[in-house]
Amino acid sequence: MLSEMGSQLIDLCSALLLLTCFAIVAQRRLAACVDLFALQSAFLAGTAALVGFLTDNHHVYVTAAMTGVVKVIVIPVVLKKVIQRLNVKRELVMNVNVPVALLICGTLVILAFFITRPIIPLGHVLTRDSLAIALAIVLIGLFTMIARQKAVTQLVGFLVVENGLFLGATAATHGMPFVVELGVFFDVLVAALIAGIYTNRLQDAFDSVDTSHLTGLKE
Amino acid sequence: MILALVLTAAHAMILLAISPLLVGLIRKVKARLQLRQGASVFQPYADLVKLFRKEPVISTTTSWIFTAAPFVVFSSTLAAGLLVPVFISHVPLSFAGNIIALVYLLALGTFFLMLAGLDAGSAFGGMGSSREAIVASLTEPAMMLSVFAIALTAGSTNLSTVVHQTALLQGIVTDPAPHLMAFAALFIVTLAEAGRVPIDNPATHLELTMIHEAMILEYSGRYLALIEWASALKLTVLLSLMANVFAPWGIATTPEPAGLGIGLLVYLVKVAGLAVAIGVIECMFAKLRLFRVTDLLGVAFILALLGLVFFYILRS
Repeated sequence: MLSEMGSQLIDLCSALLLLTCFAIVAQRRLAACVDLFALQSAFLAGTAALVGFLTDNHHVYVTAAMTGVVKVIVIPVVLKKVIQRLNVKRELVMNVNVPVALLICGTLVILAFFITRPIIPLGHVLTRDSLAIALAIVLIGLFTMIARQKAVTQLVGFLVVENGLFLGATAATHGMPFVVELGVFFDVLVAALIAGIYTNRLQDAFDSVDTSHLTGLKE
Repeated sequence: MILALVLTAAHAMILLAISPLLVGLIRKVKARLQLRQGASVFQPYADLVKLFRKEPVISTTTSWIFTAAPFVVFSSTLAAGLLVPVFISHVPLSFAGNIIALVYLLALGTFFLMLAGLDAGSAFGGMGSSREAIVASLTEPAMMLSVFAIALTAGSTNLSTVVHQTALLQGIVTDPAPHLMAFAALFIVTLAEAGRVPIDNPATHLELTMIHEAMILEYSGRYLALIEWASALKLTVLLSLMANVFAPWGIATTPEPAGLGIGLLVYLVKVAGLAVAIGVIECMFAKLRLFRVTDLLGVAFILALLGLVFFYILRS
């Protein structure tokens, strides 16, 4: 079992991830959203490395390093390139405005805590909070995808969901089998690249990256 | 008894002495990051001395509130400061009030400042007061909730008990996740309450943006000096609150000379670190539009609420 100190450190890292989630929800500038995602991924890599250190699972270090490369460097750079081509720098109109979005996210976190509370004493979870926080991050990411209209921020929402899943998997299972993690990384990278290309196409076709244009039929 | 008096006097002297220095430090950090030389960190002391020597000019349309407000603001802020542990975890005056009293002592100062802004009947003062009312009404719930999140961990609303218990613990802090939420909330609240950059800009007198400066526009001479000192003091009190409640490492738990010395030194380092952080933030972020202030303070409110939720759901 983990030392009290180690468990507290993992909790602290998970809480930092949740904190950046709220920053993303409140942030309107597209580039800043991407930066915050990179920061969140850096915290995630830190958490994974910490879990690897505390549980003595060496392949978790590799996962942490890959998180660092793929999610902190590659995906943000690709997204920044996409944003440079766009004619919008910030999201002025949202489906849900920021204060309401924050309240909804707060409710989602409460919901996630309620759902995970009966589970935590049953399983062999590493810490008290990280599984609950992971579920909360997944829900907030899903909500970001719904609340935002621009393709880039929707993609950031998707990546936040992935970060939440990764945190949950690491905290609940001491790291997934290595092959599974490799597969997931590859999926996320490809998804981010495809979504980047898709955003560019959207920009060319409609001169905007507002995905609500896609709901109307063209002649 | 004598020890308590000496400690309280030292406490008050330290708060009064270092508050202009912190303001000077923030300005210096900001200047250096903008590749300017900047004024000396001791400039705020010189400003205060200069203002205390000048003759005050008081508008004939003002009532007694205008002259009374600086004294109320100054003394309520100092009284609030005396409740926050600075270099020793048990403040002699801790019987006088808990964490809730602290929040409302600060609110009392804000209230009188708003009244004073309205009192002279100038357009700017009224505008400043109405803006301050918006900000204050949004920060108060966030501040109360984050303070409750701390109080719940320690099982007490008395600040001295909270700090004393946390200081004696072996781990990093009692409960990191909710504490981080409450800390982030309290940091945003501090920026708002002290009138720092994303909310208000203390360096400008531009009528479109100013909040705190608009309220005190009619003040001059020693009244202005008192208000400036009080606002520096408020910043110091809030920073001390954050430094010692969330990271009370090194604070003296018993009144022994060596421990007190270390406690004071560690306190100064922690508070200076927070001041540098504020200076860096002021360089990195632009001031928010007034109607976007709700976004930021909404974040503070939700984070503070989550700090509480941790206790009621995951810890029950």
